[in-house]
Amino acid sequence: MKTIEAEVLVIGGGATGAGVLRDVCMRGYGGLLVERSDLATGTSGRFHGLLHSGGRYAVKDPSSAKECMDENRVLRRIAADCIEDTSGYFVTTEKDDPSYSDLFVDGCRRAGIPVEEISVSAALNAEPRLSPRISRVLQVPDAAIDAWKTVWGCVRSASDHGGRALPYHKVTGILREGDIVVGAVVEDRAGDEVRIRAGFTINASGAWAAQIAALAGCGGFTILPGRGIMIAMGHRLVDTVINRCQMPTDGDILVPIRTVSVIGTTDEEASDPDDLRILQDEVDRMLADGETLVPGFRQVRALRVWAGVRPLFKDEKAESSSTREVSRSHRLLDHHDRDGVEGFITITGGKFTTFRRMAQDSVDIMGAQLKDERACHTHEEALPDSEERTYYKLGSRLAAREERLHDEQIICECELIGRRALENAMQRRGSSDLDDIRRTLRLGMGPCQGGFCIYRSAGILHSLQRIDAASATASLRDFLQERWKGLHPILYGDGLRQARLDDWIFQGLLNVEQLQS
Amino acid sequence: MTPDTVVIGAGLAGLTCALRLTEGGCKVAVVAAGAGSLHLGGATIDILGYDPAVVTSPAAALGSFIRSHPGHPYMRVAPSLWAGALEWLRARCEPLQLTGSLDENLMLPTAAGALKPSALAPRSLAAGDLGSGGKLALVSFSALKDFYPRLAAANLNRAQPGPTERVEARAIDLHGTVAGEADPGTLRLARAFEEAAFRDEIVARLKGRIEPGERVGFPAVLGLHRSPEVVAELAERIGEAVFEIPTLPPSIPGMRLHALLNRALRKAGGRVVMGASVVSSASHNGRLEAVSTDTGSRRSSHGARDFVVATGGVSAGGVTLDSSWRFKESALDLPLAGVPPPGTERFCADVFGSHPVSRVGVAVDEEWRPLDADGRVVYNNVRVCGATLAGAEPHKEMSGNGISLVTGYAVADAILRS
Ligand SMILES: Cc1cc2nc3c(=O)[nH]c(=O)nc-3n(C[C@H](O)[C@H](O)[C@H](O)COP(=O)(O)OP(=O)(O)OC[C@H]3O[C@@H](n4cnc5c(N)ncnc54)[C@H](O)[C@@H]3O)c2cc1C
Ligand SMILES: Cc1cc2nc3c(=O)[nH]c(=O)nc-3n(C[C@H](O)[C@H](O)[C@H](O)COP(=O)(O)OP(=O)(O)OC[C@H]3O[C@@H](n4cnc5c(N)ncnc54)[C@H](O)[C@@H]3O)c2cc1C
Repeated sequence: MKTIEAEVLVIGGGATGAGVLRDVCMRGYGGLLVERSDLATGTSGRFHGLLHSGGRYAVKDPSSAKECMDENRVLRRIAADCIEDTSGYFVTTEKDDPSYSDLFVDGCRRAGIPVEEISVSAALNAEPRLSPRISRVLQVPDAAIDAWKTVWGCVRSASDHGGRALPYHKVTGILREGDIVVGAVVEDRAGDEVRIRAGFTINASGAWAAQIAALAGCGGFTILPGRGIMIAMGHRLVDTVINRCQMPTDGDILVPIRTVSVIGTTDEEASDPDDLRILQDEVDRMLADGETLVPGFRQVRALRVWAGVRPLFKDEKAESSSTREVSRSHRLLDHHDRDGVEGFITITGGKFTTFRRMAQDSVDIMGAQLKDERACHTHEEALPDSEERTYYKLGSRLAAREERLHDEQIICECELIGRRALENAMQRRGSSDLDDIRRTLRLGMGPCQGGFCIYRSAGILHSLQRIDAASATASLRDFLQERWKGLHPILYGDGLRQARLDDWIFQGLLNVEQLQS
Repeated sequence: MTPDTVVIGAGLAGLTCALRLTEGGCKVAVVAAGAGSLHLGGATIDILGYDPAVVTSPAAALGSFIRSHPGHPYMRVAPSLWAGALEWLRARCEPLQLTGSLDENLMLPTAAGALKPSALAPRSLAAGDLGSGGKLALVSFSALKDFYPRLAAANLNRAQPGPTERVEARAIDLHGTVAGEADPGTLRLARAFEEAAFRDEIVARLKGRIEPGERVGFPAVLGLHRSPEVVAELAERIGEAVFEIPTLPPSIPGMRLHALLNRALRKAGGRVVMGASVVSSASHNGRLEAVSTDTGSRRSSHGARDFVVATGGVSAGGVTLDSSWRFKESALDLPLAGVPPPGTERFCADVFGSHPVSRVGVAVDEEWRPLDADGRVVYNNVRVCGATLAGAEPHKEMSGNGISLVTGYAVADAILRS
């Protein structure tokens, strides 16, 4: 069995794990991250895309609200390229209790969230598709944040400081010597076992954290997976994040992300964090909720639906069984104190918005355990590509594209991906999985859902001579199958029409169904 | 002048029906929202390719296929009509030299390197038939993003069901821009191939690179309307057989076929109104009296004695589904058959699976008239053909253009007889 040595092993390649890797590396430790799948394919790649101002928690959970706002400020400073500065409205619709908005303003003030009332007519001017039946609008510094850019940005920053991430390395066991955790056993993509010996192990596996802790013999807590669905609608219905001004509930946020708008979310208690099913009834509810915010919502084309699971830590003292009531603040478990096991901590819960803070807290605890306290600098140094501190702007890909309109092929028309960018990503990722490339470039995520670009990408992947025809064909088919999961529950209108056109492309014109992979 | 028949839809089904009616002496007007699926899919007339195993002879397989697929559009086609429909099309598309027959499917290479069974195809495509194997050199342009000859060749070289003899394929990449363009697209290339200077350049670049006995495959861009001459000239100058493989949409071979049928129809005296969606209709006593079209700027009413619905399937907008999961036939709001009951699955989990929604369409009687759920004729003077019909799963059966051709032909037959 191959053995790798690392000073600090990080388990989980979501925002938290990537943040922890960056933090340990910036403090001068040799860090290694393992993720069972591709980076940001757990909850971090399946979230709603909102960089919270904290407004959502202003009334119910003031400490979370404050934490969000503090981190919102930090991320705007260090990760500007991952953020679109959309701003956010909390709107009182005809279905919301009008008295909530006063509580909201108070809550925001207490949590240090800048809040400003704007007139309904000004809001409708800025967002003409918003329901005219709203009665009050409060503006807060919400924004949209790109999960993949952020997670990859942290990993790139970590590698600049000597760290390394291994996607497709699944932890199957935790190595213990007596009461000390000394690393983990992982399984790579080929199914081979690799032993990782580490001086310290940080479990940042989100909704899977209890499973990993159990491998180390540390129990006594559970994570309640709270499953939520989101639907991406075909274009930008709004340019500002729209929240309903009410106690947090389902279907009350609409986030503009790049060329689409995402409505969400639901909260269903699941028994297994890998249970990502999407129920018809949830889709119907989401569409109806969308209609409340934006009249005509149901006529808009739905592009894709997906589910993510909230890593909600089960507090022994929690009385309610509803998952929404469990605190969303993060949990740091020092297994030395809890279980008498050294060299091992667990960080779970929290929000995407607060991942950097969660990482900082974790590494502080590690330093305390190791009696080697070093200062955190993650809030001071910008992520790669964010050094200029300019926010991502919708249309920047188009602007770049227009400069060289006639000298390069455009492979994915929906997301404006040129051939060079695609080939570079294929080389850099060194992966033959088109779904990995999708996450890197947003390949095939626009309206045609890969109908045109995936055959092209398979052809290009094969011509780069990275893989043989059988694997390229398998990758194409796998991409279609993976995409299908997020498509069929929302196929109606033009989406269905497109899907049938795609059926004809792949099963008629190309007849890939008949090709053995 | 009021037409005898209004045909709604200008795809293969609508044009076949309209042209045949016109030839039979009817005054016909075609109203259509757009050009239909030929512009996207292509010109192969696939009658039956899978049942579910690959079909070598549609003529031999159709009997049992129809028996095991009650409600399939083929069920209503009189056995005497099949051969006639194919011969009729062959004669109308003479420049394309449609090749093949009901007796044996061609096995045509696709751009992914699979083989696809087709009964009839334009000669430029049929010349790539691999039913008895062969050696192929697939030529493409690195500037053309819709065709990957290396992938196609490598897949063709892997074992596949179909050919009786070995297939040996290789790729020849022609690098660089095409006519100064980095991203020319199929239509641009097709136009380039109509220029003598461009053909000279291609022939020169291929000189010495083709081996004796190799058939030379190009993406299907060898000329738009002058393709027969272009293909013939290239074959002669290269000295080996030349054929085409369909690319991603748009489909140049489909455009050629569509243009021929359109021209024949206009020449025979048929009228075609494009860009006109049927949005409402008027009826009286079980007869449809008129349909109203909307062109965006204008609404017009079209009355006639007979009406034909040839609006295509879901992919053409002939059948729609709204966000409350209600299916609708888009032109006349005809009853639809095969709709999965509320609360049941519309799709299965396997993307290539057999999805319950696939067979949704209009059910018809033996006169091709639309039926309601109780089997009663909805309008006595309306007939339905093509992809709008219920009961088929054409992309799995590989029967799309086949259904549209033979049912369009059969509907014209029924109207002419009545
Ligand atoms: C529906 C929904 C919407 C949300 N919206 C927002 C929002 O708008 N804004 C916001 O700030 N927060 C939001 N959140 C919360 C936020 O997404 C999560 O808190 C955050 O992404 C958690 O990140 P993480 O890195 O801790 O977990 P994850 O991203 O889940 O990372 C854990 C990783 O561990 C990996 N792993 C599991 N088992 C193993 C193993 N055996 N070996 C190796 N790796 C393993 C998993 O594959 C996974 O990638 C939302 C959550 C949900 C569910
Ligand atoms: C990408 C692609 C690949 C394909 N590959 C194959 C293949 O390999 N083999 C095969 O056999 N088949 C294939 N097909 C399918 C085949 O092209 C179709 O099944 C067939 O051509 C349908 O013909 P049609 O005349 O019935 O309908 P269409 O050609 O779809 O025509 C429908 C017509 O009705 C019009 N219309 C629709 N609604 C209205 C309205 N309300 N008012 C007015 N007009 C309306 C449309 O604008 C259009 O003119 C493919 C299709 C596509 C899209």
